[in-house]
Amino acid sequence: MLHIKCPHCGLRSQNEFAYGGDGTVKRPELNKKVSDKEWDTFVYLRKSPRGKHTELWHHVSGCRQWIKVERDTVTHEIFKTAKVNEDI
Amino acid sequence: MSENFRLDKIGLINRNKKISFKFNGKKYFGYEGDTLASALIANGVHLIGRSFKYHRPRGFFGAGVDEPYAIVQLYRNNETEPNVRATEQELFEGLEAKSVNCWPSVNFDIGAINNFLNKFFPAGFYYKTFMWPKSFWYKVYEPFIRKAAGFGVASTKHDNERYEHKYEYCDLLITGSGPSGLASAYAAAKNGARVILAEDKPRFGGSLLTSEVNIGNQSGKDWADNIIAELKGMPNVIVKNRAQVFGYYDHNMLVMSERISDHLPKSKKYKPKQRLWYIRAKEVIISSGSIERPIVFGNNDTPGVVLASAAKEYLKVYGVLVGKKPLIFTNNDSAYETAIEFKKNGVGSIVLDTRSNPDSEIINEAINMGIKIKFSHVIVAAKGYKKVKSAEIAKISEDKKDLDKLETIDCDCICVSGFWTPTIHLASQSGNKTKFNEEIDAFIPGQSKQNETTVGSANGIFSLEQTLKTSFEAGHEISKKITNKNNKVLVPQVSEKKFTQHDKFWCVPLPKEKNYKRFLDFQNDVAVTDVELAIREGYRSIEHVKRYTTLGMATDQGKTSNLNGLQLVSSIENKIVPSVGHTTFRPPFTPVSIGAIVGREIGKHSKPTRKSPMHSWHEKNNAVFVDAGIWLRPRYYKQDNESLFEASKREAENVRKNVGVCDVTTLGKIDIKGPDAAEFLNRVYTNAWLKLPVGKARYGVMLREDGMVMDDGTTTRISENHYHMTTTTAQAANVLSHLEYYLQIVWPELKVNVVSTTEQWAGAAIAGPKSRNLLQKLFPDIDVSNTGLPFMGYIESSLSGVQARIFRISFSGELAYEVNVESDNGEFMWKKIIEVGKEFSIQPYGTEALSTLRIEMGHVAGSELDGRTIPYDNGLDGLISKKKDFIGKRSLDRKAFTAKDRQRVVGVVPIDKKTSIPEGSHLVIDANAKLPNPKLGHVSASCWSVENNNPFSLAILKDGKNMIGKKLFALSPLKNKSIPVEIVSSHYVDPKGERVRS
Amino acid sequence: MQKYSVFNLIKNAFKGHKDWEVAWKDPTPKSEYDVVIIGGGGHGLATAYYLAKEHKITNVAIIEKGWIGGGNVGRNTTILRSNYMHDENGLFYEKGMNLWKSMSQELNFNVMYSPRGIINLAHSDAQMNAYARRGNSMRLNGIDAVLLGREEVKKIVPVLDFSENVRFPIFGALMQPSGGTARHDAVAWGYARQADSMGVDIIQHCEVTGFDIVNGKAQGIQTSRGNIKAKKIGLCVAGNTSVLADMLNITLPIETHLLQACVSEPIKPILDHVVTFGAGHFYCSQSDKGEMVMGGDLDGYNSYAQRGNLPTLQHVLTEGIAMLPFLSKLKMLRTWGGIMDMSMDGSPIIDKTHIDGLYLNCGWCYGGFKATPVSGWTFAHTIAQDKVHELNAGFSLKRFNTGHLIDEKGLGTKTWIS
Repeated sequence: MLHIKCPHCGLRSQNEFAYGGDGTVKRPELNKKVSDKEWDTFVYLRKSPRGKHTELWHHVSGCRQWIKVERDTVTHEIFKTAKVNEDI
Repeated sequence: MSENFRLDKIGLINRNKKISFKFNGKKYFGYEGDTLASALIANGVHLIGRSFKYHRPRGFFGAGVDEPYAIVQLYRNNETEPNVRATEQELFEGLEAKSVNCWPSVNFDIGAINNFLNKFFPAGFYYKTFMWPKSFWYKVYEPFIRKAAGFGVASTKHDNERYEHKYEYCDLLITGSGPSGLASAYAAAKNGARVILAEDKPRFGGSLLTSEVNIGNQSGKDWADNIIAELKGMPNVIVKNRAQVFGYYDHNMLVMSERISDHLPKSKKYKPKQRLWYIRAKEVIISSGSIERPIVFGNNDTPGVVLASAAKEYLKVYGVLVGKKPLIFTNNDSAYETAIEFKKNGVGSIVLDTRSNPDSEIINEAINMGIKIKFSHVIVAAKGYKKVKSAEIAKISEDKKDLDKLETIDCDCICVSGFWTPTIHLASQSGNKTKFNEEIDAFIPGQSKQNETTVGSANGIFSLEQTLKTSFEAGHEISKKITNKNNKVLVPQVSEKKFTQHDKFWCVPLPKEKNYKRFLDFQNDVAVTDVELAIREGYRSIEHVKRYTTLGMATDQGKTSNLNGLQLVSSIENKIVPSVGHTTFRPPFTPVSIGAIVGREIGKHSKPTRKSPMHSWHEKNNAVFVDAGIWLRPRYYKQDNESLFEASKREAENVRKNVGVCDVTTLGKIDIKGPDAAEFLNRVYTNAWLKLPVGKARYGVMLREDGMVMDDGTTTRISENHYHMTTTTAQAANVLSHLEYYLQIVWPELKVNVVSTTEQWAGAAIAGPKSRNLLQKLFPDIDVSNTGLPFMGYIESSLSGVQARIFRISFSGELAYEVNVESDNGEFMWKKIIEVGKEFSIQPYGTEALSTLRIEMGHVAGSELDGRTIPYDNGLDGLISKKKDFIGKRSLDRKAFTAKDRQRVVGVVPIDKKTSIPEGSHLVIDANAKLPNPKLGHVSASCWSVENNNPFSLAILKDGKNMIGKKLFALSPLKNKSIPVEIVSSHYVDPKGERVRS
Repeated sequence: MQKYSVFNLIKNAFKGHKDWEVAWKDPTPKSEYDVVIIGGGGHGLATAYYLAKEHKITNVAIIEKGWIGGGNVGRNTTILRSNYMHDENGLFYEKGMNLWKSMSQELNFNVMYSPRGIINLAHSDAQMNAYARRGNSMRLNGIDAVLLGREEVKKIVPVLDFSENVRFPIFGALMQPSGGTARHDAVAWGYARQADSMGVDIIQHCEVTGFDIVNGKAQGIQTSRGNIKAKKIGLCVAGNTSVLADMLNITLPIETHLLQACVSEPIKPILDHVVTFGAGHFYCSQSDKGEMVMGGDLDGYNSYAQRGNLPTLQHVLTEGIAMLPFLSKLKMLRTWGGIMDMSMDGSPIIDKTHIDGLYLNCGWCYGGFKATPVSGWTFAHTIAQDKVHELNAGFSLKRFNTGHLIDEKGLGTKTWIS
């Protein structure tokens, strides 16, 4: 079981968190005209690297904050965690 | 039978406590502290089972977790357990065990015919045959094979044992209490670290229990006992025996299974059978020792062939002789300890050493004791069927290729030692890339990936002095990192015999004209010829060899066979062992009880049950409940002998005619607060929210970004910056996470906070033409008239002193209200409604009536909002704002979503107005068209329309908009139904929605 | 090629099995092929086989990074079925079921196809209705399906928990009688042996390191064993598709996730069918060896590790005991993990790409094993004819633009929620 350092609460076991997927996905701005391609990229296309992956987790059974995690998808090692408004 | 093979003076068993047990129906005696294996051997029983494929006789090979043969069916406390390893099962009074995989008995096993036909059953033979005729595999061959396979028998009864879980954190977890484990535990504990020391066996000490060494002027065992006693007295140390750390998982999470009661006739009251420990360790020291590996020779699976170390353990721990005329076959010094131990107890043995001229202290001691040694000799084959009777031996050439002439010597057991294999399983599981150590001819851990350190023989260190030195050091250094202390303990003086180099010999060549089976994997009957065949046929990768021959796939997972298998592959392929590589080590190290893995979440507790505050009232009033996710909701309230249909019809009719009350507590509720709350809702929902006045509710639909409807519900503006959102029961948690995602990540600039209040409010929906009259009586202080509390209005009041929120919203399509009070007051509210409602003929109604009411009104719900439909499909396109953007809007332009013949919800009525249409039926043009018959849509929900007194269904239909009035067929081949239907509007009752506004 | 038969087995037995030929050769790669298939898993091997057999294209190489059959074809729970609701899936997998039926004979390799029936348990009327929708859809597509009531299920699988002491009682089930299991490794080896005999080069321990694409047209691949020219290149590397796509600068609607499975120690026959739990995610069958083969949820985060964590298995086995109480007294013997391409609608992709001569086969989620023959069959067609077959027309990449999604579960793009 992963051990994830919530930037708000500290180290917690994975079972307190829900996964949130690719953390680099950026929603197009509201009310802005976007091309089909841009929109489909946002909705469906995902980075799925073998190695370092920036992803979101949600501390659902904790502070209920979404957080950013940089984790290795092969070793599962977590390099860094950050609040969502911080760079990772 | 008397115990012919028990010695009087040696061993760690409790001779004051005699224990009786049964094996295959026959009564025997043993002592407290015996294992089933040691007690049987003491009684001269060596035939314990049959092998998997050839049904060859099987005895005991090891004395612990590495045992490949001795698997029994265990009977304990009126329950039975399959596949118990006799070498691990401790003896208890009344234990019963039986052999497995043999019929009619272990002595006379029909299946053994396979052994005589074994030349027809080489590795992978089943891939080459059983193909004709075509259907025979499944109908004839396979059932036969299935019956022959498997070992024990599962009990079909519920398991009455209790299994528990425990979560623990520590600075240092140490796996194994041999010299390396004890030394590192002691050093770390003395330096202030919080230590857990786990030992798989009942006794602590590992190899110290059987070796003749001195540590600090004490015998090895005394030293171990003293260290353990001291550790047990320390508050920072947890010491556990019968505890196997079987898995090394991510982020230094290890899992241990502790056998609490398996050694007792039955579990004590409230005590678990086993306990599973999830241990998060800052550091791990792996001190799991090593497992002796065999040398491969002919008929090396015959009962009576045992590992030399096991023979020594039976002797020194249990006072049991595995035989009285032993042959000892070795390529290294350690087996001499076994020979010496036999000799000390009056049993002479012959040692066959593959080495030509080894010189060491222990060999000299053996010679001095008068033990007969034949150097450059090997055992070619064991003789005897159900027990070793003699052995064919021969001198072997220096290059180990040629055998001299064969000679037969009598013996009753063969103790074999092919050197030691470090137990690297846990290290490998941790992600450590193992490396091959030429000197010991085995793999050892390489660079650590997690915080783990391997010490002692698990790390390929076989000298005790070296082991203690490095283990004390490891314990100290690792603890220092964590505790920042520097309390060093002295490394004790050690005296031990020095061993000389072992011989890297592992397989005896076959003499000419002989084709003895030489087994690598004993349980799965994988012989040298099988691996040779696999490679001959191109299955050359070690993984192919494993899969094709099943080498190492038995219940012992190849603990004694894998390395010899690798040696064989490397010698055939002419590659060095490390380039062949080993197969992956995965948890568990040894099989783990599934009951223990699951723990207490069984039966009714396999998932939580959520109940509303009014649950006990429902129970008392004959509610029949239905699972709604993990909630229990009243489905209907049974009167007399009513059926579901009758009851729900009565309840629904009463809503249409009088007034009904429904428990809606399970709906998700979210409090939304902040100056930007309106703007936020405007982005979340498809319709407009900026102008909703305080004291008003609005129905809204929210989408996923892919355009699919995610959820629907009403949201009420409680005050200027405060909204109360409701969600469906099923989506409550998802919606909250969804809102938090947008607030925290996408639009952090919005000043809004959300929090779940589902548990805070109990809800009752009051519906029906008399609901206003009832409401007025409940809340005499407020004006609930159509002007005082109009449709979608909201008001707060007090219900006999209890603060209540009143919403004029309707799911049933009737004039209806929803009353919320704090959960603690839920039952009070409910009872009050029922009591006051009596004069209006109130009846509670359940989810079934609720469904009926919503279906005939054409309100979409879960069966339409199934994650595959867009607003248009549900007739909700009117709620899509053209003026503003919202979540998922951009997706609605997709070609499929805007197609002219896009699916849409419709009503379906059987032409005969009688036949109910089963839910899940599909709508087609031609009921008898050839398959595949094109489907135009499916029936999502059906009811008996209480308003029109005929069946009515909702369907999602292709081009639904233009299909009204068309005649189709509803087909349910599963129920053998073909029903002519007419497509009508989905709003079957009150299409203009006048009632809710009345 | 040597024929496998009981007669040959007996004949060889008397010769000490010395005369068996290799099942497939170990050639060095040629410098050029008509078609190169990347990935020596079940789908890649099947594709090569059907290219040779159905389309007479035999100048084909399979390029495998490790050993053939080492990916998901060798680490699944061996279940075969076509019990799908959507037409695109149902008709596709049903073609697969037909190929399974005669596979042993066609490949002259016993893949132990065993139609023991797959039973999906339902624990509420709502679930029975959802199954009815699916089952009726199957029947109208010509696929066998029956709806069973509680008592009927009890008759067929009495070891399920029919006691009072359950959280989610069994209401009934949807059964596909022709569903079942097959021996996973044998499928890979059987296809490999036949493909090899028709001239396909099976090249193991050869890792693809790059692609040669010139003017939007595929020219060949770069590998750890040199460059190989190819007129057409097929990608068949489920689990690792994103990694190869990255080399091509393609981002796909898939994520890689980890799925664990486990087996118990072998016991005497107790469960004849494949059974799935309806109030969660657990499936179980008993292998011919006697092991209970079990699986369930994903570990739930992007992963290329073929190793998972225990809490996932604890969760899966909790549902296991809820369904089959006898599991409690058994021991978990072996666990393993496979890595999956989880696509954004849960359905696969078999399609051409914007690069001429480059074809894509991916997105199998956790259901790829049963698709092995039909995936190979349709992919071979797509490559050989340079156009999709009607059976895989729905599995296009462009469905993510047009909205013609094939979402059996309605869960959308959160691929890790299974």
